[in-house]
Amino acid sequence: MNASGQPSTSALPVAPPGDDAALAARLAARDPEALREVIAHHAAVLHRTAFRMTGDAHEAEDIVQEACLRLWDQAPKIAARHPLGRQPAAALRLGAWLQRVVTNLAIDRLRRARRLADGDVPDHADEAPLADRLLEAGERDDTARALIAALPERQRAAIVLTYYEELSNAEAAEAMELNIKAFESLLHRARAALRQAWTAQGGAS
Amino acid sequence: MSVNEQDQGAPIVPGSPLARALGEYAVPGLSAGFADRVLAAAETRPAPLPDLRRQHGTRGWRWGRGIAIGVVSFGALASAAAATGMLERFAIPVPSAQKVWASLTGKSAAEAVASPSAPSQPARLAQAKIAGPIDTPEELSEAFRRIDDVREHRRAVRRDRVDQRIASAIERRQAAGLPALTPEEEAALRAKITAAQARRDQLANDRIAARREDLQRKVESGEALTREDIVRPAPEDADAPERRERLRQWRGLSPEQRREALRQLPLEERRALIENYRTRRTGDAPRVPQTPVEAETPAQFETPAVPAD
Repeated sequence: MNASGQPSTSALPVAPPGDDAALAARLAARDPEALREVIAHHAAVLHRTAFRMTGDAHEAEDIVQEACLRLWDQAPKIAARHPLGRQPAAALRLGAWLQRVVTNLAIDRLRRARRLADGDVPDHADEAPLADRLLEAGERDDTARALIAALPERQRAAIVLTYYEELSNAEAAEAMELNIKAFESLLHRARAALRQAWTAQGGAS
Repeated sequence: MSVNEQDQGAPIVPGSPLARALGEYAVPGLSAGFADRVLAAAETRPAPLPDLRRQHGTRGWRWGRGIAIGVVSFGALASAAAATGMLERFAIPVPSAQKVWASLTGKSAAEAVASPSAPSQPARLAQAKIAGPIDTPEELSEAFRRIDDVREHRRAVRRDRVDQRIASAIERRQAAGLPALTPEEEAALRAKITAAQARRDQLANDRIAARREDLQRKVESGEALTREDIVRPAPEDADAPERRERLRQWRGLSPEQRREALRQLPLEERRALIENYRTRRTGDAPRVPQTPVEAETPAQFETPAVPAD
């Protein structure tokens, strides 16, 4: 885990240069086995990210499925932009692309859920556990889940990507479509909010 | 940033109590058959819509488009030439916009250029509307900029109204046979009004600056703001509609008529109004009725439940 906050080896599965371009070309040619390979390589990582952001396993699977289908839809364009044997092909990283889509989908769904749940945007994140969470109070991961759930969506994404998925700051910034300075500022605020929530729950950092 | 804040945002140390707590966030595995479900969905998924193609028009339209572009280009060049005075150098008369308008309306040029008594609403306010929540500093800055536009417009309206009132007061004094104000007295009166206005603006600016800092902090922490967060509606109480109606009626009255209307009010209500006016003058209490948080309520947010004045 990237607890030190220093850039670390990416947790995203990295294929040799050009392999992702070949995979994209097969997806563009509508090869179902190529999509199966993508799922085998990336789905677990994407599901972890989506689950830790939403706290709901079904929602997380739904997000990962939607991301894979978007890749299926966009494959012809991606393959056209990264033709095999050319320089751009080596730069293509489907894992990063999928991570970006999953992060955005999770943030969108969290925002939509918040709007549907309550028309007013609260001044601060509601740290009170929901009724169903109270029923799960005995579970060991309840504290960590509540800590993450108390963060605003973007701060949550920053913590999940860097702490849990061990992405470097640059990779996480790319996944969130932020410049590195903005991301580091967001990550700083996210850690501070996390510590405050932890202290409020009686924890000692 | 304080040392404590820096510590709060520092990386989470492995093995610390917080790291151990976070490490207990277990993730369930993907359900069985997930890949098959995705593949099935991909096969039944409708093909994405093709890119929009550029509409190829008929040959006639292509000619028309060329002519339209030519006319617009010629117009732009001619306008530029007229604006830079190049046409006058070749002795080609260029009528002014006022003359053209006067010839169209049949009025004299002087009437045509007469400005309205009140400054018009800034043109860009008509399109000022922010859709959806404000969740980036850029959007928030844009909202503040629009609010400042409206505040500036209202200040201009207020200045204009004060000028009109001074002029009408001088006229009334002259009509009543009272001695006219000397230029020094008039200048002193205007300076006093300007100072009072500056004091009032300063109070409003302080309030707004504090509120804006709070909003900026919220946006920076990743929260999305709605219109209600920025422009809070005025609190409603039982007397609010009646108070608004009275203010609306009094606004059209002269100071003497307004004083007379105040005398007609029940004693308790009159005392409450006077007390409220005094506290407003000292600047240590909210106005009744309270204005929205952004004191000079922007028109684009369409929230002014209560007029600012």
